[in-house]
Amino acid sequence: MKFIENKRSREAEAWLKKEIVEQKRRYRKIVAEQEALTPKRDKWIAEFLQRIQTRGVHTHYDQMRKVRPEEIPVKPKRKFKVVF
Amino acid sequence: MARPHIEPFVDRDVPFKKMTLPGFPKGMQYKMLSLDTDNGASSMTVLFEPGYKQPPGMSYTEYELFIMSGSITIGEKVWGPGSYVFVPAGVALEALSSPRGATGLIFYNYGEPSFVESDSDHPQAERDRYAAVNAYDNLHWTSTNFFPATAPGCMVKILRFDPRTHGFTFMYCMTPNFWQDNISYHDCSEEAYHIWGTSWMMQFGDLPTGGYFWRPPYINHGAFASKLGILAIGRTDTLLYNHFHFNPWTNIEENQERAASRILHRNPEMYKWINTHGHNHPIDFEFDHGHAHGDRAHHHGDGMVEHKHKKKRRRR
Repeated sequence: MKFIENKRSREAEAWLKKEIVEQKRRYRKIVAEQEALTPKRDKWIAEFLQRIQTRGVHTHYDQMRKVRPEEIPVKPKRKFKVVF
Repeated sequence: MARPHIEPFVDRDVPFKKMTLPGFPKGMQYKMLSLDTDNGASSMTVLFEPGYKQPPGMSYTEYELFIMSGSITIGEKVWGPGSYVFVPAGVALEALSSPRGATGLIFYNYGEPSFVESDSDHPQAERDRYAAVNAYDNLHWTSTNFFPATAPGCMVKILRFDPRTHGFTFMYCMTPNFWQDNISYHDCSEEAYHIWGTSWMMQFGDLPTGGYFWRPPYINHGAFASKLGILAIGRTDTLLYNHFHFNPWTNIEENQERAASRILHRNPEMYKWINTHGHNHPIDFEFDHGHAHGDRAHHHGDGMVEHKHKKKRRRR
């Protein structure tokens, strides 16, 4: 039994409503912050794609394999986002 | 669980608020980390003010409490930093107090925070599921035991494991100079809070002390690194499987397709059976069939997962 059915009080309804509004605001702020991180992220991704060709990519625990240049993915034209 | 993707969020940037929901005694404050907009399930940083006193009582939802600093007393026993308590729905917790104050994390898993004063359990309570442990003092660090596994230097202490969903709550750490060069996603939602330390992820940047995320399934995260190491608490709602890859630009749909394709190759017979027409709702002999409660997604060969069952008449 994870939850016992009960009638939500009016106070709880109001509390929830307020928290949802605040969460929406928090979410929008995160999206904006992550959008602003794009130039740094692009650099990190470029470095990662280099590293996995020289040092390798982790496949399991300490096992790694070097990725061949022809396996390196190409950035698609669609909009890229990290927060969904 | 209907929670948005909250990542990253640092609770140090926001002040505590007084808990004003009915039933809760004065002296409890919180910072909301994330909440389910449908059922009110909430993850919160919590502050018990010095002198806080809570009478014996229960919650309508199961909840988990982890103490980060200070201490609380439950009944006669004092629980300091690293203490973890899992309280099933309806189980009356003994009187709780915090003479000198404490901070912690609290997770109300299936409904909004609730507290009903009571010195006896609700008739539907499952007291045998109650669990309490001091994870700092009484649990060992182990390797992650997930296959494929995270890189060496990431270790866990399992606090709670749900035998049906395989969801679990765990502490994890990264050793100084930890690094893992791949991208991961999971079939489960994942949540974590940094008790101490900073780690880095290629998508989101640094997650410092007080950093938090609630990440729905199939969202890319990683590569990973931590210069000085971290100590954190994490949770999943179902089995955590590491779908590793190295394409930074895949989206949720592509990751889902890949996960389904992997089931085809990893569990071909199960995949075939799930896709056959007819009654394809798996029955776990240890649990109720589920139709009465609608607790398992299934369809009847028509692909209509969203449906209702008519009540069957009892034969006399």
